[in-house]
Amino acid sequence: MTTAPSPTPAVSPAHEPRGVREVERHPNVENVAWRWMRYSALLLIPLAWGHVLLQDVLVGVHQIDLDYVAMRWASLGWRVYDTLLLAFAFAHGMNGLRQVLDEYLRTPTARRLMSWGLFVVWLVISLIGAAAIIGGVRAAA
Amino acid sequence: MTALKTALTGYMGYRGREGHWSFLLHRLTGLGTLLFLTIHILDTATVYFFPELYSHAIALYRTTLLGLGEIGLVFAVIFHGVNGLRIALFDLVFPKSWDIPTHRVSAIWTLAISLVLFIPAAVVMLRNILIHNYGLFGG
Repeated sequence: MTTAPSPTPAVSPAHEPRGVREVERHPNVENVAWRWMRYSALLLIPLAWGHVLLQDVLVGVHQIDLDYVAMRWASLGWRVYDTLLLAFAFAHGMNGLRQVLDEYLRTPTARRLMSWGLFVVWLVISLIGAAAIIGGVRAAA
Repeated sequence: MTALKTALTGYMGYRGREGHWSFLLHRLTGLGTLLFLTIHILDTATVYFFPELYSHAIALYRTTLLGLGEIGLVFAVIFHGVNGLRIALFDLVFPKSWDIPTHRVSAIWTLAISLVLFIPAAVVMLRNILIHNYGLFGG
């Protein structure tokens, strides 16, 4: 889990010191995804923990209703915060699910189908969430 | 399906101690959080698409059962975060320290830090359930 998918070693210099071999890396999609799981993790510590601390612990679900959401989203800062959280958390989670499912699928076709399926689900749900953040709270009928 | 069966029986039978347990917990807390997050994006989106449904979703989250689930979710988010920081730290900063003794000690520390952060949050949330659902503590 913690080993980066190794890229194909491209160049090995002829005059390398013994023991350590410097290899020029050509990162592929999996290397980039592997790195971004860690970068987004660092961002998600303040974003997700802040959100959970505020909404689940300090405010609590018993104080949350339409008016509360409207009050919160009246400030642009919270809308930007929630947009960042939506973008990074859901992409991080869906990519994690893709990495897990990759281990259980054997054929390239199955993996490709699964990847595209997850991509579509990710895109649709992200757009639904983004539409709500942009559109804001509408008065209940 | 065979691959899934092999993996699941492997998860149960493999005896990799701290590394194995933190791997399983990381996966379980990650997938659990993703499941909740997916539902949560959709239920929050009702404030725009179907505002009259939002109060029904919130009423569900206020039940004791989902309140306890919420406490589990907070543990999942805390553990997955602390363990994720540990993984990122070793992968990006100290890649040469990925040895079994360091891995074991750091996994124990991860669980300890997670519990220190989780327990106060759990107490507050449990108290909220007792106040609002059972009228305790002057609720």
